[in-house]
Amino acid sequence: MRRRVFQLGFLLACITVAIPAQQGHPLTGTWNGDWGASPTDRHQLTVVMTWDGKAAKGVINPGADSATAAVTLDPVNWMVRIEADVKDAAGKPVHLVAEGKMEDMGSYHRTVTGSWKQGAVNGNFKLTRD
Amino acid sequence: MKRFLLATALGFGVLLGAAWAQRAPSAAYDNSRKMSLKGVVTRIDWVTPSAFFSVNIQDANGTVANWAVEFGNPLDLEKDGWKRTALNIGDVVSVDGIPARDTRRQVLATSIVLAKTGAKLFTAKAKAAAKGKSQPAPRWPDGHVRLGPPPGKKGYWGPPSSTVLVDSTAGNISMNRDGLLNNILDADKVAPFQPWAKAAYEYRQRTLFKDDPYNRCMPPGGVRHFQSPQGFQFVEQPEVGRVLILLGGGDRNWRIVYTDGRPVGNKEDLVLAYYGTSVGHWEGDTLVVDTVGFNEKFWFSNGGLPHTESLHLTERFTRTDLNTLRYQVTVDDTKTYTRPWTGGWTIQWVPDEEIQEYFCEENAESTFIRN
Repeated sequence: MRRRVFQLGFLLACITVAIPAQQGHPLTGTWNGDWGASPTDRHQLTVVMTWDGKAAKGVINPGADSATAAVTLDPVNWMVRIEADVKDAAGKPVHLVAEGKMEDMGSYHRTVTGSWKQGAVNGNFKLTRD
Repeated sequence: MKRFLLATALGFGVLLGAAWAQRAPSAAYDNSRKMSLKGVVTRIDWVTPSAFFSVNIQDANGTVANWAVEFGNPLDLEKDGWKRTALNIGDVVSVDGIPARDTRRQVLATSIVLAKTGAKLFTAKAKAAAKGKSQPAPRWPDGHVRLGPPPGKKGYWGPPSSTVLVDSTAGNISMNRDGLLNNILDADKVAPFQPWAKAAYEYRQRTLFKDDPYNRCMPPGGVRHFQSPQGFQFVEQPEVGRVLILLGGGDRNWRIVYTDGRPVGNKEDLVLAYYGTSVGHWEGDTLVVDTVGFNEKFWFSNGGLPHTESLHLTERFTRTDLNTLRYQVTVDDTKTYTRPWTGGWTIQWVPDEEIQEYFCEENAESTFIRN
C-alpha cells in the first residue's frame, strides 16, 4: 500500500507541474469553479470560453441548461466581465453579471475571482482554468 | 508517509529542474549586477545546452557555500577547442560573472581563471565567417537550388543573423538576443498587436519570460527553431515530394514540408501541433512554405510573441549563395494581430560539419541534481 502511495505521489507531482500551458488568448479554454452568496451556499460553475478574433463568448454550464454569455476582457488590468441571461432555481429568467480579475495570467491554471450578481442574489465567484 | 513526501518532493524537483533547463540568460541572470567568486571545484556537468561546474566558496567566517557556475554550451566550447578536462574537481578557480535574479547561488561566468596557472578558461574564439569568397548556391541537375550541402560535402545552416522577430516596418527596436526589450514602450512597434496580445506580450516581457514553455524543454515551434544557435538542415526528397527540415535545437526534432502539390488543409481537420502542417512550392530559387495547424502550447518566437490556433506562417527560404540563406516569414493570425506582417533574417552556412547533439533534458537532469 505504501509503495502505491509512493508511486501515486510521484506521478501526481510530475503531472501537476508538467502540464503545458495554453499560451493563446488568455480567456480561451474550460474554466471550473463555483459561485454563491456565502461560503456555505455555493453552486458549481463551468464556463467554456472562446475567442473569435473580435469578441469572446462563454457557454455557462454546458449541457441541457446551458446559457451563452458575452465575455469581455480588459487587458489593461486583466478584468473579466461575464454577462448572460440564465434561469434561477425556480426556472425564472434572470440576468447575471459577473466581474472579476484574472490572476497569474501566464499560468495554465490561471484564475478569475470577483463578484457575481444573479437576479437579486449578490455573491462572489472563482473560476480556475481547467 | 515520509516516502510519500520524498516522492512528491522528488517529482517536483525533477520538474522544477526542467523548468530551468534552457532558460533565456536575460530571464535567469541579473545583468545589472556583477560578482566575483573564488573557490574549489566540486562538480563538473558538461551538458547541453549549458555546462555548469560547482564551487565551494568559503566566507570570512569559515562558512562554506556551494555555488553553481554556468559557463557555456559544451558544443560551442568544443568547437573552440576546449575539452571537459580543461577543468578538474579540486581545481581552484576565480570566477567573474552575473548572478541569478533569484536567491539561488548561481552565476553566469564572464571570466574563469585557473588559480594554479593563471590560465583563462573557456574563452570563445571569434567566430570565423564561412571561409573563402562567396560561391554560387549549389544546384540539382534540374537546375533547382540545393538547400543542403553540395554533393559529397557536409554542412548545415547555423546561427541566424537575428534571434528575434519584429515587423520589418518597425524601424530600429533595441532588444537583446532573447527578445527582451530595452524599453517596454517599444512593444507597440514590434508587431501590430491586438490589445489583448500586446498586453500578453508586455506581461511576458515584464515577468522576464518566466512562463516560457521553452524553459520546460517544450519544442521551439513556429519560427523559433530558426532562431536557435544549434541550426538546422534540409533534406530534399523530390522523389517522394517532400523536404525534411532537421532541427539542431529543440531536441533534434524535424518538420516535413510536402512539395507534392497537396493543399495545406483546413485547420479544423488537422491535429494541432508545435510545428504545424506544412506544404511548399518553388518560386524560382525560393522555397515557399505555408504552415497552419499550430497548437497554442508554445511561444512561436523568442521574446514572447503570442499566437492562436489561427496562426498561418508563410516562410520563404532563398539560398542567395553557397553560404547564405535568406529567411523571410509572414505572420497571419487575425485573432492576435491586426494585419499580416513580415520579418526575417539571414542564416550562415556551417561547412564541413554536421548538426551536433542537443538535448534540453540533459541539462534538466543536472539542474535537478544541483538543486
